[in-house]
Amino acid sequence: MALADELFREFRSMSVSEFFRKNAAMLGYTGRIRSLTTIVHEGVTNAIDAGEECGKLPNVYIRIENLGDGGRYRITIEDNASGIPEKYIPEVFGKMLAGSKAHRNMQSRGQQGLGISGAVLFCQTSSGKPVRVISSTGEKGIIAEVMIDVEKNKGKVSKKEEFDPKGWMGTRVEMEAKGVSYNRSKYGAFNYLRLTSLANPHVQIELIEPDGTKVLFERVTEELPKPPKEVKPHPYGITADDLLRLAREKGGERKSLKTILVKELSRFSDKRVRELKEKMALILLSRKLETQIEDLDKYLSEIQDEEEKRRIKKIYSGFLSQAAKILRKEARYLNWEEADLIVNAFSRMKLLAPPTEGLSPIGEENISRTMKAVLNPEFVACVTRPPKTYRGGIPFQVEVGIAYGGQVDEEGIEVFRFANRTPLLFDRGGCAITEAVKSIDWKRYGIDPNKDKVALLVNVVSVHVPYTSTGKQAIADVPEISKEIRLAVMEVARKLMRYVRRKKREMEKEAKMKALLKYVPEVAKAMSRLTGASEEEIETELSELISKKYLSSEDFSEEEREEAIKKEEKVILISNGGGLDEGSRKEAETTRE
Amino acid sequence: MKVAEKRLRQLGNRMLQELKRGNSPYIEIPVRALGNVYFDSERRLLQLGEKSGRRYFLNLAHAKKFMQTLLVASYCLELIQKGKHASLRDVYYALKRNLPNSKEVTFQDQSESNPVIEDLEVSLNLLREELHISADRKGYLIGNIVLRERVVDETFEIDASQLGTGGWGIPSNVEEIEFLDIQADYVLVIETGAMFERLAEERFWKKNNCLMVATKGQPSRGTRRLIHRLYYEANLPVYVFTDGDPYGWYIYSVIKQGSINLAYLSEKLGTPDAKFLGVTMSDVDKYNLHGQVHKLKEGDIKRAKELKDYPWFKNEEWQREINLMLEKKIRIEQQAFSSKSLEYVAEVYLPEKIEKEDFLP
Repeated sequence: MALADELFREFRSMSVSEFFRKNAAMLGYTGRIRSLTTIVHEGVTNAIDAGEECGKLPNVYIRIENLGDGGRYRITIEDNASGIPEKYIPEVFGKMLAGSKAHRNMQSRGQQGLGISGAVLFCQTSSGKPVRVISSTGEKGIIAEVMIDVEKNKGKVSKKEEFDPKGWMGTRVEMEAKGVSYNRSKYGAFNYLRLTSLANPHVQIELIEPDGTKVLFERVTEELPKPPKEVKPHPYGITADDLLRLAREKGGERKSLKTILVKELSRFSDKRVRELKEKMALILLSRKLETQIEDLDKYLSEIQDEEEKRRIKKIYSGFLSQAAKILRKEARYLNWEEADLIVNAFSRMKLLAPPTEGLSPIGEENISRTMKAVLNPEFVACVTRPPKTYRGGIPFQVEVGIAYGGQVDEEGIEVFRFANRTPLLFDRGGCAITEAVKSIDWKRYGIDPNKDKVALLVNVVSVHVPYTSTGKQAIADVPEISKEIRLAVMEVARKLMRYVRRKKREMEKEAKMKALLKYVPEVAKAMSRLTGASEEEIETELSELISKKYLSSEDFSEEEREEAIKKEEKVILISNGGGLDEGSRKEAETTRE
Repeated sequence: MKVAEKRLRQLGNRMLQELKRGNSPYIEIPVRALGNVYFDSERRLLQLGEKSGRRYFLNLAHAKKFMQTLLVASYCLELIQKGKHASLRDVYYALKRNLPNSKEVTFQDQSESNPVIEDLEVSLNLLREELHISADRKGYLIGNIVLRERVVDETFEIDASQLGTGGWGIPSNVEEIEFLDIQADYVLVIETGAMFERLAEERFWKKNNCLMVATKGQPSRGTRRLIHRLYYEANLPVYVFTDGDPYGWYIYSVIKQGSINLAYLSEKLGTPDAKFLGVTMSDVDKYNLHGQVHKLKEGDIKRAKELKDYPWFKNEEWQREINLMLEKKIRIEQQAFSSKSLEYVAEVYLPEKIEKEDFLP
C-alpha cells in the first residue's frame, strides 16, 4: 500500500480553467495572429448573439490597439445589446463551461460556454491584466475588472464602480493580451470580420485597426434573422447517457419516466407509448431467443408446436409488462440498461422528423445580397437546402452561395466556411466543407478550378454542429452533412454553369460576328466595283445580314445538357455510397410517416 | 465589252441579287481535286467533273476566302479596263493589306492568292491570261522559227535561231504570239535546262531540223500552250525527253493529257498525240547504263505506284515500264549518257530513237 500512497500523493483534481490554461491551443490560442483572431471571434460572437437575443439589429464596434512591448495589444469590443446584469458579470466572463447555451437544444454561435471566459483566461495569463467590462442594462452602468480564479474556476471582480449610462445600453469589453499580432492576412482579425459580415448581413461591424484605419462592414439588410427556437431533443438523436441525464434533471417531483419522455422529447406523444413498449418487449424477446430482432417473425412462424407457441407468447407478455413497469417508474431511478433499451427501441420506431424551428439560416436572398456587397462579383447564385437531420435526430441545414468573376479576389475556388454563421478560418484541411467542395468535378460545370475566380460561401447551421475539436474550426465528416453540402454546391454550380455557358455562347457569337464584320468593308468595296452599286449600301446590307444570323438563333440543347449533368451527379452520389445511404434511408423513413 | 469583263460583272450582279433577297452572297466554284477529275479516254484528256462547291460570305469558314476571291475579281476588272497585265506576285502585292481594326491581313502570302486566282478562272471558265494575270516566264524555245510578239502597243519579231544557246523565254501568255515562219520536222521537249543547253551547244536543232523546248521541270501553262499550238497549228510531232523517274514521266503526262489541278484547261493545254522518247527503263539495258542509275527513295516508289494506277498510264507499254522501275527500284537521269561522251545524246541516242520511232505512247 505504501507504493500506492506514494503514487497518489501527487494526485489532485484539476479545475476546468486550469486544464485550459495548460491547453490554450485547444481553444484556438496558438500562434500570434490566430490568438488575436480568436479573441476577436469570442467577443464578436457574444456581441452578435446578445443583440439578436434581445431583438436588436447588432452594431458591433471593434478597436485593436498595438501597445508595443513585444506584441501587447488591447482589444475592445462593444455591442448595443441589453447589457449584462451586475451579478452575472463574474459568471459570464470568469467561469468556464457556464453559459446560457450549452444545455439548450437550439442553434447559436457559441455552444460550450468556453468562449469569452477562454479569452479572459488567455489575456490574463499572457498580459497579467484583468478584463475591463463596461455594461449597462439601461438604468445602471457598471464598470468592472474581472479575472478568473483558475484554481476554483470562478470569476473574481477586482474593481467595480457604477456610472450613469445616460440611456446607453450594451456591453463593452476591453481585453489586453501579449504575444499576439494583427494583420490583414487570411487568418487575421480583419478577414474574420469581413467573413462575419458576409454571413451576417443584418450586422453592422466597425473596426478600428491599430494604425487608426476605420473599416466599416455595412449592414445590408434591416431584417433580423428569425430567432432560433429552443427545440426538445428528438428520440433519434438521443443517447442512453443523454436520456439518463434528462431523466435526472427533469425527473424530480415523482414524475414517471413516461411523463418525462412525452414531455421532454419532440415527436414522441402519448399515443406512441404503446408502440415503444412493444418494441422494448420485442428487443428483450429476441435477446432471450438469441435471435436478431429482424429475424423474429420468421423464427416464430417456423414454430409448429402449439405448446411452444403459447410459451413464447407468455414470455413476450411478461416482457411487455416489464417494459410498462420501466416506463411507470420514477424517472430519476432510471438505470443505464433501461435507458439503453429505450434508446434502442426508439431507433426501431418510425417517428416524424424533428421540427426545424431551431434553425436560422441566412437565407438565399440575404446571401445573395451580402455576397454582392462584400465581393462585388459578376454573378451570384445561392441555395438554402431544406432542413435535414443527422444521426437520426439532430436537425441541420446547409446553405451555399457562389460568386463568380468581377472583383472576387483570387483565381481558383475560394471557400468561405461558416458554422451557424460564424466564419471558420482554421483547420481547413480537416473540414467536411473543404472535402465536399474538393470532391466536386468543376470541369463538368464548365468551370476551371484553377483559373476562374470563384468564391463559395458554405454555411452549416444546426442546434449542434459536430466540430472536430474544441477549437471549433472544422466540421466533422458526418455523412448526412457531407452529402447535403455536396448537393448544395452542385446546385449552385449548375446555376453558375448556366450563366458561364450563356456568357461563353454570347462571347462566341460576338467573336464570330466580329470575325465576319471585319471582312465587310473589303467585300463591299469589291462588290461595288464589280456591280457599280453603292458601296455604303452594300456595307449596310452585309452588316445587317450578319446581325440577323447571330442575334436571332437560340441554343436549345442547354436544357438537355443540364439533365445529363444531373444524371451524372446521381451516379456520383450513389457510388460514394456507404455511410451516406444509411442516413438517407433513415431520412426517407422518417418523412414517409 | 470583253468576255472576261462581262463575266466578272455577272458574278458581281448575281451576288448583289442574293444580298438584296436577304441571303448570303456566294460564289460557285467547281472542285479542283482528284475526286472531281476523270480521264476522258475518247479525247485522251483529263477532264473536270460536275462537282462544285459554294463559297458563302456568311459561313465563317468561307468568309475570308470569299473576300479574297472578290478582291481578285474586282482587281482583274480594273486590269482589264486599264489594259494592263499583272503577274501573280503583282496581284498579291496589289491586294495585300491590313483589314480595318484588325491584325489580320487580306493575304498572308502568295500561296493564298494563287489558288484564289485559279478558283476564279474555273468559276468564270476563263484563262488567267484573259483576266490579265500572267505568270513568270519559265520555258525556253530554240530553233528555226520566227515569231511576232506584241508588247502593249508595239510588236517585235523574234527569230529563235539567232539567239545563241539561251533561246527565247516563253511568256506566260502565248495567245497573241504569231508564228511567222517555221522550218522544222518536229518539236523536242526537254525536261532539264542543262540538257537543253548541252543540245543547244551541239546545235542539235540545226543538225536535226527541229525545235527544242525546255520546260525546266514541270512546264508552265505558257509552255504547254505553246507546245499545243505548235502541234495543232504547225502540225509538228511532239517528242518528250525527260529523266527516267516518276516525276519526269509525270511531266510527260501533263504535257500530253493535262494536269489534275488544271483539268478544266486540258483542252487548251493538252497535246494528246505527244510521244515519249525517253529515258525509259528499257534504255538502261539497251544503252548499258547500269552503272549510272540511282536507287529509288520511299517517296519515289510511292509516286511510281500512283502513276501506275492513273487510268491514262494503263496501257501495256507504260505498265511494263513502271513495273520494271518498281522491280529494280532504280531511276536514271537524262545526263547519265555523259558517261559515254558529252556528245552521245546528240549524236547517238536521240537520232537513233527518232529514226527508229522508239517511243512510248
